[in-house]
Amino acid sequence: MTAVSEALVPATRDALALLLLAMADDELVIGFSDSEWTGIAPLLEEDVAMSSIAQDELGHAQALYRLLAELVDDGRDADAIAYDRPPEGYFHARLLDHPRGDWADTIARRYLYDTADAVRLEALGACSYEPLRELVAKIRREERYHRMHVSAWLERLAGAGGEPRRRLLDALARLAPDAATVLAPLPNELSLVMAGILDAGSVDLDARWRAEIGPAFERLGLPMPPPAAEPAAARTNHSEAFRWLHGEFTSVRQMDPGATW
Amino acid sequence: MTDPLALEPVLAPGERGRLPFNDDHRDHDERFELFEAHVQAGGKVESTDWMPDEYRTGVLRFVEMHANSELMGVLPEREWLMRAPTLRRKLALTAKVQDEVGHAQLLYRVAEDLGKPRDAMIEDLLAGKTKFHNVFHYPTRTWADIGIIAWLVDAAAIVAQQALRDSSYAPYARTMRKICWEESVHIMHGRDVVVTMVTGTAQQRAMVQEALDRWWGPLMQMHGPRSDRAKDRDLHWRIKAKTSEELRQEFLSIYVPRILELGLTLPDPELRYDDEAGAWRYGEPDWQELRTVVTNHGPRSQERLAFRQLNWDDTAWVRDSILAAQPTAA
Repeated sequence: MTAVSEALVPATRDALALLLLAMADDELVIGFSDSEWTGIAPLLEEDVAMSSIAQDELGHAQALYRLLAELVDDGRDADAIAYDRPPEGYFHARLLDHPRGDWADTIARRYLYDTADAVRLEALGACSYEPLRELVAKIRREERYHRMHVSAWLERLAGAGGEPRRRLLDALARLAPDAATVLAPLPNELSLVMAGILDAGSVDLDARWRAEIGPAFERLGLPMPPPAAEPAAARTNHSEAFRWLHGEFTSVRQMDPGATW
Repeated sequence: MTDPLALEPVLAPGERGRLPFNDDHRDHDERFELFEAHVQAGGKVESTDWMPDEYRTGVLRFVEMHANSELMGVLPEREWLMRAPTLRRKLALTAKVQDEVGHAQLLYRVAEDLGKPRDAMIEDLLAGKTKFHNVFHYPTRTWADIGIIAWLVDAAAIVAQQALRDSSYAPYARTMRKICWEESVHIMHGRDVVVTMVTGTAQQRAMVQEALDRWWGPLMQMHGPRSDRAKDRDLHWRIKAKTSEELRQEFLSIYVPRILELGLTLPDPELRYDDEAGAWRYGEPDWQELRTVVTNHGPRSQERLAFRQLNWDDTAWVRDSILAAQPTAA
């Protein structure tokens, strides 16, 4: 444990640990899902782009798990936290539980996630926990390019009419019940606001997110995402698709759990 | 350090016009001879230069097969992309597979300039009309395969690719410089996976040896049977610079000591260095297996082509959405 983390009261430290876990698991799961396109994306140019985005997200996950490992200081390193939990122990938003799907699913999920994540990162821009504030500044520089990429695709699919637009609307409909889960309330989030870690609670963040995406959705004639269907279960009860993914990414590691890979 | 991506100066269009074979007042036979002399003397050819049909076809066939191999070569490793056992390995493997896709893109662009559209090349690949390298027709069975492929398959490839940096076709030679730089990083990643496992548990070490035993045959076949230098048109035109046997010898000289140094064994009892002859002796590779495999009758040829076809068809609507949005030419 570092001097910075020792200065936190236990309730704040626990709430911060859950925030870091939520953010890291979000980035891990979307990074894995996006890397499913590596080698088989619709165009070679998009293949390269999507692989870069996936690597950025996985790199963010790794950095966030490292912060978490320092904070909880229980002997686990970033890999142990990332890999050695049962599927029900993961704390990512249910938006990311949906399978990769087609290109429209990927674009819709990325758009909803990237815009919500940007609001979350902005709310951490003046974070009182210095290690997280520094990391967020770095992450925001990269996420800006992800949003440019995904916004261009959202516009293209929505504006193309015909099959691309129909597929995009279908994807948004499939994701709708979980669309707002990224900014759903976190346990003890009030203590994070009180400690100056987050600049606002989830209700405000959700409103900022809707204000951010509202104009684009209106202009493109897309239905705004409804409130999360089950906000209390926004990061639990993970899907079969995630259980499959978990089974894949832990398969080699579990062959010889004591080994170094 | 020399910048590996630095480009040699390309002659300005006006200067290229002074190359005698570019003079369209000369007749075909004369231009053919002047072109041949230029290439044989180490001269470079740009995409806008006049070139004999035989040369254009030869370069296109060579680059197209290379591009196909990069594209199909992502599939064996992609099968393990979701199973990488640490975040570092996951990042490295994603980056490596991304590089291969990027190489396919670069190479298809080189080939496109020679007159064949990218979609036509991919469709010919999927229809089995064009080929891809033998090593990408085999299954990947364990995580150790990921180490062996990145270390040794990429090493065997880089031996050939380094020689292609001197190709007479300048756009290909320039592209190979970038590719070789990235491949050398893949080899370090592969060796690191292998070293970590051979210094790990008994189970990990056994996995590496088993993978090496399976891959050795395809690796020995990879550069192709010995050929007659005088009859090889790709050598004549200096599209490539070395014979298959020269490449295999080079690979063995560098990598056999490195493999043995890790305490691994090679499944060829005849393999030894012949000091007198100054060459490696080895059991004759199974050339019938090579012919079977590269004509798409390998253990995974049909599955991999079917998988690529499935994804190509499933994502056609995305490509169509872009083409539909292209501004029409005035």
